[in-house]
Amino acid sequence: MTAGTPLLSVEELVVRFRTHEGTIHAVNGVTFQLEEGERLGLVGESGCGKSVTNLAMMRLLPQPAGRIEGGHVMFDAQDLTKLREDELRSIRGRDIAMIFQDPMTSLNPVLTVEEQMIETIMAHREISRDTARARAIELLTMVGIPQPEGRLKSFPHQFSGGMRQRVMIAMALSLEPKLMIADEPTTALDVTIQAQVLELLRGLTEQSGTALILITHDLGVVAGMTNRINVMYAGYIVESATTLDLFAAPSHPYTVGLLRSIPRLDAQAGDPLVPIEGRPPDMRHKPTACPFAARCRWRLDVCWQENPPLRPTIEGTPIVLTGPGATHQIACFNPPTVEEQVAGRPMRAGFVTAPPPAGTVDEVGAGRIGSTDDLEGMIGDIQSEEGPISLAPSAGALPLPPEPEHHTDGFLHDD
Amino acid sequence: MLRFIVRRLLGVIPVLFGLSILLFAFIHLLPGDPATAILGQHATAERVAAMREYLGLNDPLWQQYLAYLDRILHGDLGASIINNQPVLHEFLVRFPATIELTVAAMIFAAGVGIPLGRFAARHAQHWPDGGVTIVSLLGISIPVFVLGLTLQYIFAVQFDLLPASGRIDPRAGLEFRTNFVLIDSILMGSPSLFIDGLSHLILPAIALGSIPLAIITRITRASVLDVTNEDYVRTARAKGLAERRINSRHIMRNAWLPVVTVLGLQIGGLLGGAVITETVFGWGGVGTFAVDAIFNRDYFVIQNTILIFAVIFLMVNLLVDILYAVLNPRIRYA
Amino acid sequence: MAAPAVPVGQPIERRASRGLWGDAARRLMRNRPALVGLVFIGIFVAAAILAPFIAPFGPLEGGLAQRLQPPSTVHVMGTDAQGRDEYSRVLFGAQVSLIAGIASVIMGVTIGGSIGALAGGVGGKLDAVLMRFVDAMLAVPGILLAIGIVAFLGRGLPQIMFAVAVVNVPIFARILRGSLLSLRESDYVTAARSIGASGPRVLVRHMLPNSLSPLIVAATLALATAIIDVAGLGFLGLGPPDPRTPEWGTMLTDATKFIRQAPWLLFFPGAAIVISAIGFNLLGDGLRESLDPRMRR
Repeated sequence: MTAGTPLLSVEELVVRFRTHEGTIHAVNGVTFQLEEGERLGLVGESGCGKSVTNLAMMRLLPQPAGRIEGGHVMFDAQDLTKLREDELRSIRGRDIAMIFQDPMTSLNPVLTVEEQMIETIMAHREISRDTARARAIELLTMVGIPQPEGRLKSFPHQFSGGMRQRVMIAMALSLEPKLMIADEPTTALDVTIQAQVLELLRGLTEQSGTALILITHDLGVVAGMTNRINVMYAGYIVESATTLDLFAAPSHPYTVGLLRSIPRLDAQAGDPLVPIEGRPPDMRHKPTACPFAARCRWRLDVCWQENPPLRPTIEGTPIVLTGPGATHQIACFNPPTVEEQVAGRPMRAGFVTAPPPAGTVDEVGAGRIGSTDDLEGMIGDIQSEEGPISLAPSAGALPLPPEPEHHTDGFLHDD
Repeated sequence: MLRFIVRRLLGVIPVLFGLSILLFAFIHLLPGDPATAILGQHATAERVAAMREYLGLNDPLWQQYLAYLDRILHGDLGASIINNQPVLHEFLVRFPATIELTVAAMIFAAGVGIPLGRFAARHAQHWPDGGVTIVSLLGISIPVFVLGLTLQYIFAVQFDLLPASGRIDPRAGLEFRTNFVLIDSILMGSPSLFIDGLSHLILPAIALGSIPLAIITRITRASVLDVTNEDYVRTARAKGLAERRINSRHIMRNAWLPVVTVLGLQIGGLLGGAVITETVFGWGGVGTFAVDAIFNRDYFVIQNTILIFAVIFLMVNLLVDILYAVLNPRIRYA
Repeated sequence: MAAPAVPVGQPIERRASRGLWGDAARRLMRNRPALVGLVFIGIFVAAAILAPFIAPFGPLEGGLAQRLQPPSTVHVMGTDAQGRDEYSRVLFGAQVSLIAGIASVIMGVTIGGSIGALAGGVGGKLDAVLMRFVDAMLAVPGILLAIGIVAFLGRGLPQIMFAVAVVNVPIFARILRGSLLSLRESDYVTAARSIGASGPRVLVRHMLPNSLSPLIVAATLALATAIIDVAGLGFLGLGPPDPRTPEWGTMLTDATKFIRQAPWLLFFPGAAIVISAIGFNLLGDGLRESLDPRMRR
């Protein structure tokens, strides 16, 4: 770890939403750090709290529902959770810039690109409109927009989706921020455009030494983009590692699930795709047990009772939060072994996924006692002795439990 | 932009055709012989024959319609049976009074409704919807004449603060030139006449403006709340813009759009409400002209008041559409 | 282990759905403004139905000896210029408003709905022509259109009902046409078509029931404006031909002559109109919220 304080240090951040449906425990004590120039990926399913974490850092939570209920966000030796609104305003856009998922709706439809770029620059610098305009042209050139002088007068709807996201990136970079937060920047774009925009984002942040937090649900996106990855689930960081470590040895059952549920080029023929069954838990209750237990094949009885803390994969290792030597940490009582990481399911002889305790309903197995899930666990045992048996078709056809209603509330911006 | 305007203008033409057919049909709704009905039972045979000739009643229906179309296109809206004056002339003499009233009502409705709607949106969380909901509910539930009479009773009869009826104190000696009281008083250079005219205008304008006030408040509040939750407002905050600038440039620039449309649509209601308001307040405009015409069975006046009001409504909304396009680049360049 | 944990895997409690109408009724019962509206409507309808039984006097009964008496225990709302009991006249006036209101809305829905169904269902040139007429009617201020129709057709309760109905025709026509058009594009109509349902069958079985809820909402709100428009015509002197008929708008016109001596004559009919209008407006808004499942919170 390099000397001095990190650029960003989030400590035990807690965010809750008060809604008609009750309190949503969106972020439940998240701690991580970022050094200058570092690129961090925040990965997880919709509603896991990754976007909320970042909106909370910037204090841009939807009002009045969203509130920071605990923790600190230290940036440049200031606690962002305690700054006055006007002090915060001078940091937003200038030191920390954000780009959002949908470039269709993130740019104001009635203002020209010029107006929107210039107002950003002029909000933070005492310069003339002409200077600001020159800077805007320079930025648009930088992000690869042809004939930038002409395009300045255009309105957002006159650009394609990819071009609009380039404009967003140009705007975000206009004040040479120390940190850029990109929230699903390519999710709304065509696949062919995604790679271009990601490459642009990586190149420009690398060039300027801007630190980057890249939020995505797609592990494939962060692979080539980031130095480190935090995997989030139900408002917790469940695995934190350098990108290399994470892909080499995904150690939390959820991460394993994420990796096994995307097709891979290096997969061997016959390797099944293993989807993660079920849905994230109901966030109206603060979990007192492992939030992933209901969907986990590796769970033990203890997983139904206690929430595992985040700790190093190798016990006793000193905890380093940043840099290439960052400690690999997970929050799990029963991490998959190396073979299981590859196979995506428990393979230990005699291991049986702990049944849910009496009085609770298992979301994965709800109403399906003796379901394929249990069956697969058993076959898993057999398989370790008798060779692989593909279960992919039946696993893919499993019915999903009904979607919890609060996911359609619309104020979580993960979707 | 020019193509947009031309397209919208062309779009109005079929509607005007529909309108002219409907109004043409009105004359044939009259019980018995239209010419006799228009002139009354006591008209001489020659006058009835002349009227039949004028209306073309001896021709086939489609020729009658074409003749009617030809007349209105040439500005011939018939003559009032009361004084035999051309309807158009009689209408235009009284029209300034109605314009004065509706414009004042609109200024009241928009001037109070828009700030009220913005205020309600800003305090939507602290100040439960109740207040604005009740104001707008009362606004649309109280008929113009009930509100007008109530205002008249409270402010004119009970407390004698404002005049109960009329446009100006007839003894004050205003010379009518443009037939706009406020403009004529300025032309005469008389502040006291201006104030007198204004004081006559207040109650009718409030009575007439209450419904649009309710609707404008509602739509402004809803629109501001909608825009406040837009992604680009979050972007503006994330860029570190001042709250004031976010409000004026990012929120209001977009929130205006539905408000402008609703403002235009209110014109119809205002013109209709003016007919009743003028009756309540003895306001000598087109409205009282039309109501008097009902009792005098002056059918050309009624028919053509409807025509002119509808044309005004269509034209105002055409202008509003153009204004909307100016405000909204997505339409302008579509 | 910590305090009794909320079980992790417990699915969210789900209420049994009782179908569109059951759900709507349940949501309506929880909508307080709508309930207030129902109470107001209840008072209005009860006054109309019970008038002959609860009114202390007949609507035309009175003599100049009792004229313009202020509210008292005998005449709770005072008496009018002919010495008739104002309270009894307000009660009987509810009958006129209720009958004229309901009749005109039924007429408006029938005429407007037919135009809308024809335009939306058939489409093409017919749609274009019909909708231009609808636009033309919308361009005329409602009350002025009603005035015009009564003026040309002659005075009378049926003419009043028809005139007020015509004012609402373009509204109903547009609603029905609009929902038919959007439904035509929607997935479940495509689905019904794809399993071989015939055109008219799709229209009747699938599309109409789904256009119904906006129509019901509009009809409820139209009742409020119909009551106001009927009273407005009465106020302008275009009420029922017999000037003695207890009609709220006509009563208001009569009252204006005595605004100094007998202001209560303004107050009570005015309040009656406002309360009925508020009732239907509140219920209409409540219905809109409860019939639209998307408004569910």
